[in-house]
Amino acid sequence: MVKQQPASRAKGFYILLGLLALAGVVFIGTMATKNSTPKIVTANVTPGPAQGYLLGDANAPVQVIEFADFECPACGQFTLVTEPDVRQRLVQTGKVAYRYFDFPLPMHRNTMAASLAAACANDQGKFWQMHDALFFNQPEWSSEATSDPMKFFANYAKQIGLDVSTWTQCVNDQKHLATILGNRDEGNRVGVNQTPTFMIGKRLVVGAIGYDEFRAHVDSAMPPAAAPAPAKKSK
Amino acid sequence: MRARQATALLALAGAFVALYLTLYKVGVIGTLSCSIGECETVNTSRFAMLLNLPVAAWGLGAYLVLFTLATLSQMPRFAESTALPRAIAALATWNLLFSGYLTYLELFVIHAICIWCVTSACITVLAFVTSMIAMRTPATA
Repeated sequence: MVKQQPASRAKGFYILLGLLALAGVVFIGTMATKNSTPKIVTANVTPGPAQGYLLGDANAPVQVIEFADFECPACGQFTLVTEPDVRQRLVQTGKVAYRYFDFPLPMHRNTMAASLAAACANDQGKFWQMHDALFFNQPEWSSEATSDPMKFFANYAKQIGLDVSTWTQCVNDQKHLATILGNRDEGNRVGVNQTPTFMIGKRLVVGAIGYDEFRAHVDSAMPPAAAPAPAKKSK
Repeated sequence: MRARQATALLALAGAFVALYLTLYKVGVIGTLSCSIGECETVNTSRFAMLLNLPVAAWGLGAYLVLFTLATLSQMPRFAESTALPRAIAALATWNLLFSGYLTYLELFVIHAICIWCVTSACITVLAFVTSMIAMRTPATA
């Protein structure tokens, strides 16, 4: 004999369910509207041709492309920990041509503004200085910290010696948005789905890898004529 | 019956957590509210995507199926069903195992913890327990 479920118990369950659903909807709604609209809103722009930012000799034997997002913590970690060695020991020695390609991720509200800030710094020949300022100070301007990153970027522009009014005009006009979107599309084309991702020679390498691993990929991508002889392996 | 109700409530709570993480991943929510741990590191890692979909979206799907089954099991016509509680328990077990795998990745591969992922993991543990109780308990109890 089946005992009937008390109606009050079922009613209580559905009330609880309703309250939980309501709380969930309120929570999601609050979180979705928590951050005010960023100062820079990207317009509908057709992506232009991909065009990275070069560091080193364009004709170096190994071509490296970094697809990165200025607001991505792992990209910041790579810039702080690994990149100084990469620049000093691989780029400045002529082994590697290093290119930065924007790969702005959709969840980072301030990253497009950062990409524009760096692209406009490039107009004045200071992309890499802005690149470093953005990554070194990432915690203060990320979307977790502020909805108005431009005041921080303007400060960096001043510190690295840009003509701030020209730079501000460039950023506000979103002059390089098509190029940034083109860089992102190039990343999508080669199969990038997270940042940082490196194309070292023809190989895609994912994550904020350390110098030794980076160096190993560069060595394996080195053309035979440019590669050091095994017997002369340095210590 | 209370265990089935608890499973449904837990599944609904889990669905909202997974929805929150999914919306973040697709860019609707700009910033994760993350007072403990490193949610950003976890959710932008390569393990946050599975078969071209955010892992959170798979979790959302799993929670919604669990919620639907657990809610259906409240209906009088399914009161004496033994298949439904077994299906719920099987799904809850799968969720638990997958959640355990994700927690392993956080601790030993990514080396970062996301409080929302931990919350989801706790929900899967509780849902597993309630689904096991529901499977062993007559619906009329």
